[in-house]
Amino acid sequence: MTSRIINHPVLDKVDDTDFVSFTFNNDEIRGLRNESLAAALLANNIRTLRVHEESGTPRGIYCNIGHCFECRVTVNGQQGVRACLTPIQEGMTVSSGEKFLTSVKDWRSNNE
Amino acid sequence: MIICRCEEVTYGELKNTAETYNCSARELKLRTRAGMGYCGGRTCRSMVDSIAHASTERDVTQVTLKYQPPIRPVSFGSLGEITK
Amino acid sequence: MNRVIVIGAGPSGLSAAITIAENGNEVLILDEYMLAGGRLLGQLYEEENGKWWNGIKESKSLHDKAVALGIEIRLGTPVSNIEKLDGSWVIYTDEETHYTQHLLLATGAAEVPLPIPGWTLPGVMSVGAAQVMTNVHRVKPGNRGVIIGVNVLSSAIAMELKLADIDVACITLPKMNQVTKESGNPMDVMNSLLHVSHMAPSAFVKFGSKLMKNEFMKKMGITFFPKKGVKMWDIPIMLRKAVINIYGENAVEGVTIATINASGEVIEGTEENISADFVCIAGGLYPLAELAAVAGCPFYYIEELGGYVPLHNKRMETVLDGLYVAGNITGVEGAKVAISQGVTAGLAIANNLSGGKQEVEINEAIKRIEHTRDNAFIQFHPAVKEGKEKLQRYWEEYGQEVKVGVTS
Ligand SMILES: Cc1cc2nc3c(=O)[nH]c(=O)nc-3n(C[C@H](O)[C@H](O)[C@H](O)COP(=O)(O)OP(=O)(O)OC[C@H]3O[C@@H](n4cnc5c(N)ncnc54)[C@H](O)[C@@H]3O)c2cc1C
Ligand code: FES
Ligand code: FES
Repeated sequence: MTSRIINHPVLDKVDDTDFVSFTFNNDEIRGLRNESLAAALLANNIRTLRVHEESGTPRGIYCNIGHCFECRVTVNGQQGVRACLTPIQEGMTVSSGEKFLTSVKDWRSNNE
Repeated sequence: MIICRCEEVTYGELKNTAETYNCSARELKLRTRAGMGYCGGRTCRSMVDSIAHASTERDVTQVTLKYQPPIRPVSFGSLGEITK
Repeated sequence: MNRVIVIGAGPSGLSAAITIAENGNEVLILDEYMLAGGRLLGQLYEEENGKWWNGIKESKSLHDKAVALGIEIRLGTPVSNIEKLDGSWVIYTDEETHYTQHLLLATGAAEVPLPIPGWTLPGVMSVGAAQVMTNVHRVKPGNRGVIIGVNVLSSAIAMELKLADIDVACITLPKMNQVTKESGNPMDVMNSLLHVSHMAPSAFVKFGSKLMKNEFMKKMGITFFPKKGVKMWDIPIMLRKAVINIYGENAVEGVTIATINASGEVIEGTEENISADFVCIAGGLYPLAELAAVAGCPFYYIEELGGYVPLHNKRMETVLDGLYVAGNITGVEGAKVAISQGVTAGLAIANNLSGGKQEVEINEAIKRIEHTRDNAFIQFHPAVKEGKEKLQRYWEEYGQEVKVGVTS
């Protein structure tokens, strides 16, 4: 279980009263207003954000600042959205990417 | 052990290719696809570089792995038309 | 229209924008992150004078100052490409295309990974990711972590995790291979730590510097380095252990470590498992200069600066007309240096817009960068000054037609 750090010896206390709801793979999730999708999911103990499109191995955040694209999910129908850069919004629909049916590698070796 | 997370290219694959072809970082990338994934090589480029430079000299006056625009994936919608 | 565009709302970009606006010019800042402050946001450490450097507060004060000056800051806006067309810089973002005569790239640094078998498992993240989760988002990256890679950044962040009451099982080395190289070699790690022995928080390093005055002692120090490690803030730093595997079904469950000899080779039969629900990888930082590269800037590899840097002069001008750089894109250093570089770049831009009114200030600002560097609390490479001198020599060699009044 991971959890929030509400009180901190140096940093200000976090206001943990203002929640918004969204869905991730059809499950309803609650997160704090304005926090990132990646943070909200982790606070709800969700680490796997997608699976690798070809091998199907689970992936979660790696860099948390937009560089690695490992956290990409589909938000309100738009693919390739980085969860670590996206503030959550009330009613947002989020889903993981799916494993491709045909491997891109196989497709490439047949078509390139 | 994976080096390129996006394309799932392994250390063994890269090392073998580097040794077999005694190749530059650029050639290593083209041969294995390491660095050609979704992140544009931001995550793996330093590692691909190190493997290549174990067998070839580094040219300090040139970026070994070229950057190509766009450096962030652009959604199809924002290109104004569906391409490829 | 003379609106200046700055890419990156980190400490260097914000400071540059503030300086440009204070000199009477309009500025637009673009940044893909959701908050202004860049990597300054996550920083938290106690300075020598006992005061806390609180990145959230520092970022907020820069941000508020920028907004008060009327600077427009567009967050959540990734720049995917830049190019020069008909004498203007064209900046492409998902939604819009922007044009300017003066463009500052302040895109900061990115992390260098250390590959370990199993490092794609959810729960494995860069050490900076854990820093941002903990200090900015205030969500624990996990309850018990292992940090792989012993360096300035990882020890600073280990302490930050500790402050947030997160258990760090140990900080240890990656298994040595062609990629991890020095990061996996106990002697090299020890050497690099000795260079930062002035760094206040590092009780461990102090322990080291007393013991390790010469090569022989260093070798002895590593040979007899306690296998269980030396504790810093109650976290064992294990220079004689290396992580050989990260295991877990669908997420991290732990790491397998083994004892290594003084040159980093694994001693068979010494493997043991440490349970953990998150793992941080700390391979260091490199300048994130991709936009300067697509723009066509010449680059030089300077190890002391963290890797390839775009050629620029002391005024932060690149060889391309109207293109400037500031902050970690010019070499990896702490936020205070980034701020003083931002001010210098801002003045250089204002000066070019005003036809030379800021000459005196620029020279002072350049001196201030050096002063800040000399007094920096955190230093990512001990020879950063030499790195900067190398770059200066490359600049001179490049034989660039010197612009108005540039002196070195
Ligand atoms: C993960 C990490 C942790 C660090 N921790 C510390 C620390 O604890 N202490 C310390 O002293 N230093 C630390 N540093 C070094 C840090 O880079 C400097 O202290 C300082 O923040 C550099 O400032 P900057 O303005 O150059 O860049 P940054 O602060 O990195 O800001 C750059 C900004 O540019 C934006 N950007 C980049 N590319 C694009 C693009 N294509 N489109 C739009 N926006 C873009 C980014 O989103 C970011 O906000 C860390 C660096 C990293 C990468
Ligand atoms: S975690 Fe790397 S881009 Fe989001
Ligand atoms: S990790 Fe290799 S391209 Fe992304």
